[in-house]
Amino acid sequence: MRGDGRQPPAATLRQRTATAVADDRLRANVAAAVDRFATHRQERLAELDGPDDLRRAARAVKQQVVADLPDLLERFADRVLAAGGHVCWAATAGDARRYVVDVVDRAGAARVAKSKSMVSEEIDLNPALEAAGVEVVETDLGEWIVQLAHEAPSHIIAPALHRDRHQIKDLFVDAVAAPATLDTAPAALVAFARRRLRDVFLTADVGITGVNLAVADTGSLVLVTNEGNGRLVTALPRVHVALLGMERLAADWHQAELLLALLARSATGQRLSSYTNVVTGPRGAGEVDGPEELHVVIVDNGRSDLLGGEYHEMLDCIRCGACLNVCPVYRQTGGHAYGWVYPGPMGAVLTPLLAADRPGAAEVAGASTLCGACMDACPVQIPLQDMLLALRRADAERSPGGERALWRAWSTAWSDRWGYEATTRAATWAGWAAGLAGHLPVGRSWAAGRAVPRPAPRRFRDRWRAGR
Amino acid sequence: MTTAGREAGDRAAFLAPARRRLAGGVPANAVHRPPPARGPGDPVPLPRYLGLDRDDLVGTFVDAVAHAEGTCHVVAGGPSGPGAATLVDQLATELGGRTAVTSREPAARALAAELAARGITVEEATVGAAARAGLGVTGAVAAVAATGSVVLDSTVSGSRTASLLPAVHLCVVSMNTLVPAPADVLRPLGSGGDALPPSLVVVTGPSRTGDIEQHLTLGAHGPTALHVVLVTDGPVGASTRGAGTRA
Repeated sequence: MRGDGRQPPAATLRQRTATAVADDRLRANVAAAVDRFATHRQERLAELDGPDDLRRAARAVKQQVVADLPDLLERFADRVLAAGGHVCWAATAGDARRYVVDVVDRAGAARVAKSKSMVSEEIDLNPALEAAGVEVVETDLGEWIVQLAHEAPSHIIAPALHRDRHQIKDLFVDAVAAPATLDTAPAALVAFARRRLRDVFLTADVGITGVNLAVADTGSLVLVTNEGNGRLVTALPRVHVALLGMERLAADWHQAELLLALLARSATGQRLSSYTNVVTGPRGAGEVDGPEELHVVIVDNGRSDLLGGEYHEMLDCIRCGACLNVCPVYRQTGGHAYGWVYPGPMGAVLTPLLAADRPGAAEVAGASTLCGACMDACPVQIPLQDMLLALRRADAERSPGGERALWRAWSTAWSDRWGYEATTRAATWAGWAAGLAGHLPVGRSWAAGRAVPRPAPRRFRDRWRAGR
Repeated sequence: MTTAGREAGDRAAFLAPARRRLAGGVPANAVHRPPPARGPGDPVPLPRYLGLDRDDLVGTFVDAVAHAEGTCHVVAGGPSGPGAATLVDQLATELGGRTAVTSREPAARALAAELAARGITVEEATVGAAARAGLGVTGAVAAVAATGSVVLDSTVSGSRTASLLPAVHLCVVSMNTLVPAPADVLRPLGSGGDALPPSLVVVTGPSRTGDIEQHLTLGAHGPTALHVVLVTDGPVGASTRGAGTRA
C-alpha cells in the first residue's frame, strides 16, 4: 500500500491502454503537448550547425562515460567529499530510502521541499518519508499537480501534461481549497501555485532534488529547471539531498557542455532552460544562503546489471523526453498506460529492466510500433527499437510453449516451397476460416481492434501464371 | 579550509558488479553501430551556433535575451551613468513602495544606489530581505551571446536568493565579460584545478513554466521579469545593431 494515496495501476498493459484511449480529453491534451514539444525541438536543433554530427558525438561521449563508469564515479565521489559534501553509495532502492529518511530524521525536519526527481519516483521515496511522519511537497508545478491528484507523472519532464486548465483548477479547488472563483487562465493558476509554494520553500528544513548531470572532474551537480524551484530548493533549506542515477555522469566540462547544448533543445525546445544550476559542495564562507549540508546519494537500483550486456546503451539516456514526444504509441495513451514511472520508448525499455519484479513489467516492451522515431529523436542516438525487439524476444523465450510452437511451425512450413504452396492454397480454400479465427479463444484478443485479413479467393501466383 | 564530507555505504561493494560486468567488454549494437570509441585525448566537438554573429556579439546577445523573454539594455558610461537612468526611473516607479535588495558586487551596489537616490529602500541581500523585496539587483561574472545568458557566481555575489525571490531581477554585467557561446564559460571549469563556487548558475531569461497546457507563463517560482544591463566602457559605436534596448 502506497502512503501517497496513489491508486495502483490496472494489472495489464491492455487494460491500461484501453482506459487511456477511451479518454478523448486525455488524448487531445497529450497530442497537443507532444506536438508542441516536437516542433520546438526541431526549431532549436536547426539553430546548430550539423545537429546530427553533434548527436553522434554525444553518443560517443556517453559510450566512453559508461565504459569508464566505476573510475569516474570514484573520481566524482572524491571531489564531492573534498568539497565538503557527503556521499552515499546506494546499491538498492531500499538503501537509498533508508539513507534519505535517516538524513531527514537527523535534521529534525517536519517538511521536505522536493524539486522534480524521477529517481525519487523510481525508489518510492515519498511514501517512505510520509511513513516517517514527514510532510513532502513537490514544488515543480506539474509534479505538484500530480501529487495533489495522487497520480504518477505522465511525462518525465512535463508530469501533468495529460490535464487541461479546467481539470487543474478543479483540482486546486478540491485539494488545496482554492477559491471556486479562481480563474482558469494559466497565469492565474500559476500565480496561485506560486503563492502556495513560496511558503514551502521558506519553511522546509530539507530540499530533495534529482540531478540532470554530474561532472566527475569537479564533483559538481548540474540541475536544470525553468521554474526556479531547483534553485530555491538548493538555496533555502538547511540540508540538500541530491539523488543521482549512477550513469548520469560526464567526465569533464567539455563533455558536460556538449550534453547541455543538446539537453534543453531536445527536452523543451529551448536554447537553454532558464536555470542551469551548477552545485559544488555546501554553502561557502561569506554566503548568506545555500545549504549547510549537501548529501549526494548515488543510486544503482539495477543499473549495473545493464552494463556490458544487450541493454548497455540504455545507460546513455539523459532523460530529455524527446522519445516520448515523437512516439505514436505515447501520443495515444499518455504515460500512465506504461504502468510504472518511466513512460514512452525509454520507459518501455527501462520498465522490464529496472522493475522486472513488478507484475506485467515484461509486456511493456510491447507498447511500441518499432517505427524507430525514438532513435531518430534521441540526442544520444540510443537504438531504442532494437532494445524493444530484444526485450520482446527475451519475453517470448520465457513464455510457455503455445505461441512459440505456432510461430515455429509457420517458420518451418514457409522455409521450403512445398510447404509455402500447400499452406497458401489451403488458405484460399478456407478463407472463411480466417473470419472464424477472430472468434476462437486464441485469436480473439488479437482480433480485438484489428481487421482480420481474408485471403483472396485466388492467389497472386495463380493469377500471374494464368497471365492476368 | 573546507571540512571533507563523510562517506556512507560500501564504495568497493557498490562498484564491484559494475567492474565485473565491464571487464568482459561491451558488445556493439549490430544494427545501429556505435561511433568509433573516443580516445582519452580526443577533443569533444564544439557546438556551432548558426545565429551567432562574432562581429556583433552585443547584437547577438541583445536578440538572444529577448528570445528568452528577458530585456537587455546596453548602457554606456557605467551603471550610474546617464544611460541607465531611464530604466532605473521605470523600475523605481513599478516598485510602488516595495523594497529592493542588492548583492555585494560593486556594479550591483552602484546601480542599487541609483534606486536609493529615487527614494527606494535598498537592503543588503539576506533571505528575509529578498523574500520581502520587489526587486533584486545582482552582478554577473559573464554574459553569453549565443544563448542570451548571464552567469551568477555565489562566491562573488554572496547571495543566491537576491536573483530568485523578488519578482524582478536586475542584473548588471560588463561587456568585457561577454563571450560568444556557453562553451567559453563552461569548458574552462575545473581546468585550473580550482574548486568551483558552491553555486554557479547560467540564467537564461526569467523563471517560467509550461506545465499548464504548454502555455508559456513567466514567473513560476523565480522572477517574472529579467532586465540585463550590459555596461560598455565607451560609446556603443562599435555595434550599430546593439545600440539601445531591444525587447
